[in-house]
Amino acid sequence: MISVKKVDNKPLGPLERIYLLEVARGLAVTMRHFFANFFNRKGMPTIQFPEQPSPLPGNANLRTRHRLKIRADGSPKCVACFMCQTACPAYCIHIEAAEYPENPAEKYPAVFDIDLSRCVVCGMCVEACPEDAIAMDTRELPGGVEARSELLLVKSALLRNLPGEPSLKGAANRLANEYLKAGGEK
Amino acid sequence: MIAQFYQAHSDILLFAGAAAVKVLVLLNVIMGFTALLTLAERKVSALMQDRIGPNRASVFGFAFDGLFHPVADGIKMLVKEDFVPAKAEKLLFTLAPFFALVPVLALFAFIPFGDYVMVFGYQLDLQIAQMPLSLFFVLAFSGLAIYGVFLGGWASKNNFALLGAMRGVAQMVSYEVVLGLTLVGLMMIFGTAGLQDMVRAQGRLLFGFLPGWGVFYQPVAFVLFLTAAIAENKRTPFDLVEGESEIIGYFMEYSSMRFGAFMFAEFIEIILVSMLATTLFFGGWQVPWLYDTGFIFPWGSTLPLNHYLVAALQTGAFAAKTVFFSWFLLVVRWTLPRFRFDQLMALCWKVLLPLALLNILVTGAVLTALK
Amino acid sequence: MPKITIDGKTAEVAKGTTVLEAAQQLGVYVPRYCYHPKLPISGNCRMCLVEVEKSPKLLTACSTEAADGMVVRTDTDKVKTARRDVLEYLLINHPLDCPICDQAGECGLQDYYMEYSRAKSRFPNEDKVRRQKRRALGPHLVLDNERCILCTRCVRFCSEVTKTSELEVMGRGDRSYIDLKEGKALDNGYTLNLADICPVGAWTSRDFRFKQRVWFLKKTPTVCLGCATGCLVEAHHNKNTIYRLSPRPNAETNTWLCDRGRMTYKSVSAGDRLVKGIVKNGLIELEPALREAAARLDEARDAAAVLGSPWLSVEDNSALALLARALKTENYSFDFSAEQGIKDGILINKDPAPNTAGARQVKAAAGGLSFSDFAKRAASGRIKLIVAEARAAAALKDELKAGGAALVVFAVNRGEVPEGAQTTLPYASYFETQGTFVNYQGFSRRTRPSVEPPEGVRPLWAMLTSLASYSGLSLGLNSGDDAIRGIKK
Repeated sequence: MISVKKVDNKPLGPLERIYLLEVARGLAVTMRHFFANFFNRKGMPTIQFPEQPSPLPGNANLRTRHRLKIRADGSPKCVACFMCQTACPAYCIHIEAAEYPENPAEKYPAVFDIDLSRCVVCGMCVEACPEDAIAMDTRELPGGVEARSELLLVKSALLRNLPGEPSLKGAANRLANEYLKAGGEK
Repeated sequence: MIAQFYQAHSDILLFAGAAAVKVLVLLNVIMGFTALLTLAERKVSALMQDRIGPNRASVFGFAFDGLFHPVADGIKMLVKEDFVPAKAEKLLFTLAPFFALVPVLALFAFIPFGDYVMVFGYQLDLQIAQMPLSLFFVLAFSGLAIYGVFLGGWASKNNFALLGAMRGVAQMVSYEVVLGLTLVGLMMIFGTAGLQDMVRAQGRLLFGFLPGWGVFYQPVAFVLFLTAAIAENKRTPFDLVEGESEIIGYFMEYSSMRFGAFMFAEFIEIILVSMLATTLFFGGWQVPWLYDTGFIFPWGSTLPLNHYLVAALQTGAFAAKTVFFSWFLLVVRWTLPRFRFDQLMALCWKVLLPLALLNILVTGAVLTALK
Repeated sequence: MPKITIDGKTAEVAKGTTVLEAAQQLGVYVPRYCYHPKLPISGNCRMCLVEVEKSPKLLTACSTEAADGMVVRTDTDKVKTARRDVLEYLLINHPLDCPICDQAGECGLQDYYMEYSRAKSRFPNEDKVRRQKRRALGPHLVLDNERCILCTRCVRFCSEVTKTSELEVMGRGDRSYIDLKEGKALDNGYTLNLADICPVGAWTSRDFRFKQRVWFLKKTPTVCLGCATGCLVEAHHNKNTIYRLSPRPNAETNTWLCDRGRMTYKSVSAGDRLVKGIVKNGLIELEPALREAAARLDEARDAAAVLGSPWLSVEDNSALALLARALKTENYSFDFSAEQGIKDGILINKDPAPNTAGARQVKAAAGGLSFSDFAKRAASGRIKLIVAEARAAAALKDELKAGGAALVVFAVNRGEVPEGAQTTLPYASYFETQGTFVNYQGFSRRTRPSVEPPEGVRPLWAMLTSLASYSGLSLGLNSGDDAIRGIKK
């Protein structure tokens, strides 16, 4: 069903048709703001973003800068399955896979780049990840940099765990964790 | 030899030297002011919209609240790729920005920015070209700026640029007519078409206390003039020529400093319009009740002043009035929404033109009655 | 001629046809793992179970011969349940490590699970049978026994196709696994076919390992130029890089592809790939190299010679013939002969050059000397300069030494260039341009470009056109086909 709302467009009155009065009223509004802000610049709602961090609202579903979770031994949980790269609608993820000689997780990302200047912060990569290796919960807002190159996140910049985080989900991680555990018992 | 030549042509040489100095000083002041105006436009609009505006460009960490932005913009304009479309008319494409810029700069020659100063016994008129008919020259030269618009759009060999140029030409030609007609009333009242003479005439008092500024004689003409001047200047609400975000304008193929020249011309025109409004309607360099020898207030008291102080006060008053109008034009530009093209033309031909003609008629009738 | 009805569609099929093949003919798809059209029937995966009227149990379509009046249904609930249950059974011990499995994206388990099962596993992870993962076997393969569903396609391939029988199913029950027989090595020259026929990720290619996910790959049908067999292949490539070749099974020539043929794509981006010219062992830019070659050509003129090549396409050989015609020289030859025929009974040909027959076609149209005459002239010193393809020129080594003719050669890789070549020019390989090749059976087959050539490098006919124009000749070529048309004039 399409709901129709009738807007009652009043015809212009004689004073309005001359424009000048309305123009003057418009100028009054803008000038009021101009002078108020001119003499009280502190009263403006604008903040200086990268320097002045803006408080993030609550614990709402907030997608922020990516991170790659790590296992107990510091290796990335990511196994370079390319699911995030496949799911990414902005083509901002670039992965190059490599092989572990020993670890039964076999595969790891030798290169894992996220180009934040292309990222649309949609969270598809997090949804797609079968190993629970990528997350967007750092609560850091990307942007506000002086060079585009600063927006290219490489693997080392992405690797980080939040305090007290277990890392168990995913088949390859199961294998890797068993391997780690076995190594610990030896 | 040289001494002889100097003896024979001393007056002309002196005049030429003085003119050259005046041109240099005025051009530099105007250019500097234009650069600041580009920053002011962004700052004023920011303040109107509760923003802070540009404040990032810095030298050694000092930003001075954005004072370096005009410099940064200038450097950017100069180092960007100077792109010429493959099928453009190369010569005209290159010339068009000059056609836009040069007539506007030439117009400052006719603006009186003060009365006169005595320098070593030589009377230095504070106007570059003293002409009895300078108002007509102003109208003629501002008409030349149309070529910049049209050549720019046509030489780009781009249909959108050409459409923008045609819109621009139609608009400028139309408002040129109104602009000329609004000034007829002033010429009738002051009995002259020289700008300096008009300003001097505005030094008389009206009813013994009111400064005899044109706006008090011709309030309707002032509103019409301001409207037509903004339209001539191609700024919002009459910026259909450019229509930055949606209909694209005549300089869409221009980049780098060629585009910069168009933009600069627009800002210089703001100053020009402000100066014209000041000169024609707000007494130019006149300060109320200030005469050659000092203040003579309507209530009888006097304040004698040195000649140089008087000249400085007058030039300062002219600058202050110009700055005020420049600011006012910025505020107008950031307040009003854009007209539709048919509305623009209807406003010109159906409203402003009849009103301007009526204004002339009424002025003539009143003048005849008072005689 | 038995008449069989499958899902309401009736057809007469040849005697001995299985139900699965009959279904295929009728356009009914029956899922299968162990069945392969070119391998003997095994019937162990149970995926192809269908309901046959008057049969109390479901029957495997792959091993049941079609009988007259048979009525088969593949869409009943019973069949659907059977498929779901078979899949659940196969997945009980499957490690589900798809994220690190190269088969993901072209995996039988993934595809059928999505199509026929979609059931949640009732089997806890911890109880899965663990087998050996990741084990390099032979020069080209990796075996992961945990992923294996024991369809035995690989075992049957090794015993029936290559007849080398290296593989066997070891152990019993759910502990069974595929292994090498004692004393054998998996190096029969066709091993990468195992990675192709393996329906899951148990056999994967070491060459392709972790290079790309298969769903990123684009597929371009082309021809293998490894030998005169001219197998139809598919180049899998992404972002201007070829990652692997796989066979395009066809009735005429090949179902499989040999390991050597699969590696031919490597020359395209090999380290010794020529992207510039070489003048006397020194790399120089393309333009000066072309000018140098043209200068040599101008010096020699009617003492110049043109030699075709069985490694070049018909188009490029024709362009060479046109160059000879433009030079007004008599010294040109497209006469190549080699013993042809399958060497090992599977695919590999006795003739290592892909286009001997094609070169002879050019000879038929353009004429020219016989190869022995050409060699004699080269040896006698009557020829001052030879324009040729690198591998064809290599055959004239001794004659060149004797006669002292300078050599201008075209090569894709630096390794092909014979010693003593005066100027070497690069050309676009046949993964980068079109070319017609005639295989030992006489089939004309066209390669198709799957990647772009390196910057500046063009097909051989285009390089020849530039070379000719630098020495003031016009070949009038705008495409390879122009060359073929040109020599017929």
